[in-house]
Amino acid sequence: MAASFVRSCSRASRAITTVRFMSNVPENTVYGGPKSQNPNQRVTLTQLRQKHRKGEPITMVTAYDYPSAVHIDTAGIDVCLVGDSAAMVVHGYDTTLPISLEEMLVHCRAVARGAKRPLLVGDLPFGTYESSTNQAVDTAVRVLKEGGMDAIKLEGGSPSRITAAKSIVEAGIAVMGHVGLTPQAISVLGGFRPQGKNIASAVKVVETAMALQEAGCFSVVLECVPPPVAAAATSALNIPTIGIGAGPFCSGQVLVYHDLLGMMQHPHHAKVTPKFCKQYAQVGEVINKALLEYKEEVSKHFFPGPSHSPYKIASRDLDGFLSELQKLGLDKAASAAAASAEKMEPSDSSSSQ
Amino acid sequence: MASSLTRNCSRFSKAISVRLMSNLPENTVYGGPKPQNPNQRVTLTHLRQKHRKGEPITVVTAYDYPSAVHLDTAGIDVCLVGDSASMVVHGHDTTLPISLDEMLVHCRAVARGAKRPLLVGDLPFGTYESSSSQAVDTAVRVLKEGGMDAIKLEGGSASRITAAKAIVEAGIAVIGHVGLTPQAISVLGGFRPQGRNIASAVKVVETAMALQEAGCFSVVLECVPPPVAAAATSALKIPTIGIGAGPFCSGQVLVYHDLLGMMQHPHHAKVTPKFCKQYANVGEVINKALMEYKEEVSKKVFPGPSHSPYKITASELDGFLTELQKLGFDKAASAAASAAENMEPSKRDHDALKMVEKLKRAGLSFDLLAYNMLSGLFSDKNKADEVYELLSDMEVAGLMPDSITYKLQHYHVH
Repeated sequence: MAASFVRSCSRASRAITTVRFMSNVPENTVYGGPKSQNPNQRVTLTQLRQKHRKGEPITMVTAYDYPSAVHIDTAGIDVCLVGDSAAMVVHGYDTTLPISLEEMLVHCRAVARGAKRPLLVGDLPFGTYESSTNQAVDTAVRVLKEGGMDAIKLEGGSPSRITAAKSIVEAGIAVMGHVGLTPQAISVLGGFRPQGKNIASAVKVVETAMALQEAGCFSVVLECVPPPVAAAATSALNIPTIGIGAGPFCSGQVLVYHDLLGMMQHPHHAKVTPKFCKQYAQVGEVINKALLEYKEEVSKHFFPGPSHSPYKIASRDLDGFLSELQKLGLDKAASAAAASAEKMEPSDSSSSQ
Repeated sequence: MASSLTRNCSRFSKAISVRLMSNLPENTVYGGPKPQNPNQRVTLTHLRQKHRKGEPITVVTAYDYPSAVHLDTAGIDVCLVGDSASMVVHGHDTTLPISLDEMLVHCRAVARGAKRPLLVGDLPFGTYESSSSQAVDTAVRVLKEGGMDAIKLEGGSASRITAAKAIVEAGIAVIGHVGLTPQAISVLGGFRPQGRNIASAVKVVETAMALQEAGCFSVVLECVPPPVAAAATSALKIPTIGIGAGPFCSGQVLVYHDLLGMMQHPHHAKVTPKFCKQYANVGEVINKALMEYKEEVSKKVFPGPSHSPYKITASELDGFLTELQKLGFDKAASAAASAAENMEPSKRDHDALKMVEKLKRAGLSFDLLAYNMLSGLFSDKNKADEVYELLSDMEVAGLMPDSITYKLQHYHVH
């Protein structure tokens, strides 16, 4: 008995000690009410660091609303990124440029409500952090304060970006960098074009990644670069790299939710599915089939059947209802109601026996 | 020739009749070269015709571009941007928290995706109850900024009927909504079915009729017993759209996420409405896919070569390695070099070919199966030269390539 007591004590103290150092939430959440906050459940920077050290790949997927966040949480994905890719996959624009900060914050909040375990990273959308370092810090603050995120991601490796990243880190906000193909810069890039394919570009990828590390980033996303370039950057950095279209030598991988699920089966969309993305399901097909079946069942008067028409009115009330309808002069309605009641209760005919 | 002229004329006049049916200007000269196809969008007239013929109208909710595209592709009649977004998209427990600005974002995304269904936008809680002018202002924004074709508002109190009338007079089509009105759970005491006693049942019919009187083109009946819905449907000239209201309505509506079984988490399973049929288990499909992705990344199986398409030419790579070394990144340089080798299985293929040579020199001959396998291997890597070499080898060995040989080559090389 004493032994088990000692064991539970040490377990408790272990929980207290480790949680305190690992969590990004205060140890006691007295105002949180009876709901157990479970701070040690949330993936933290330290856990990512450990995975990186052990060579275990980090998994990251984008989410934009409550259901997708719940799905990512349930599947045990490490990091949930509320990406500005929402502009394309949720809002249907052709680029990531049109989405505003207000819209991103709405997405962030919905995701925060759904994903309790993955680390939450919010993208800074185009136009909200490039003007000045002040603007960048203000935006990052809103993403954490109003969006409920744990960290932010920003694109690019120009000197002003490195400075911005540094200021955001100094403001106490964890930053994930993003180099290679940076979709917000398609204007200068001339489209969604892979980077790092020539010497200068390849060296730039490595150098900017290192500068971002120097600025205090905890991780860097490498997008659409040849695998050897990604391998070089991953090797040169102490922090983990998260790749997308960058080959298998990164410390982790990220994919867009809709792309990996095959959400858009429409031929128009099939041609814009990125070649580096594997479709792990054909959700678009499943949805299409379900909707067609619903349409068919409604059109043929099959749905709703009795099992999906659960609400009843007691026969006494029904009779009163029919009388009232007749008083109002709605005789046709009264007989329609009476007929339907009979149709819904096929046992009446046998009950008179 | 005369008959074809007549046919052309009648086709032309039919096109003119489209003008009367569409809710878009006939010519969209500013729309540019994209054909506007005004007769593609479902209109109130289409719905009226369906109702007259007794053909059930299908309605499903959508909240973003992909769901809108899905509804369009499936040929659903009406796409409702519901304030149910508050629950299924934003994860709140009720429909109350969503704001008009958030609804407008949903509306715009849906408008971008659904070109054929009639688009109806819900007026969210708190944006139309104060006064008729507030109601009209909100409805105007939903059409102007949200890109919707019509609006839906809840309730049948006198002020709501007045508001509905004012909105119709502003030129905006309105769908009414009676029975369980989720925005009113405060007075209803929860999501409780209505029309289960005489007074309530009569009220459902009366308010539906009042909304028709005010100019609504349709009324949603939510969570009422089927006989009550049947009475209302019979009493009205406009179509009723039911949800949890039995099979006697003029049409049906369901929430996208509910009908697709989007939420498989146990916590959500218990809040799936009993009147909703799950036509799929999308949540399960998604869960399975995400777990597989997680597994493949963790085991370093993804991305494989077929999902690592971006290449750097050998000369650029060499220059890159040199630059890295100049910068003092020797470890990085060797990582890059071995990565490049790893990604280029040509070394392996080259070894395979060399092995073939060795075995042939040793006097071993290959059968058709072996040649087919090698052919497939090389074709997969687009090694056209090696494939042709194999084919000539086979010829020398006196083997005829069969359909499988060609199929493998065709499948992979193309």
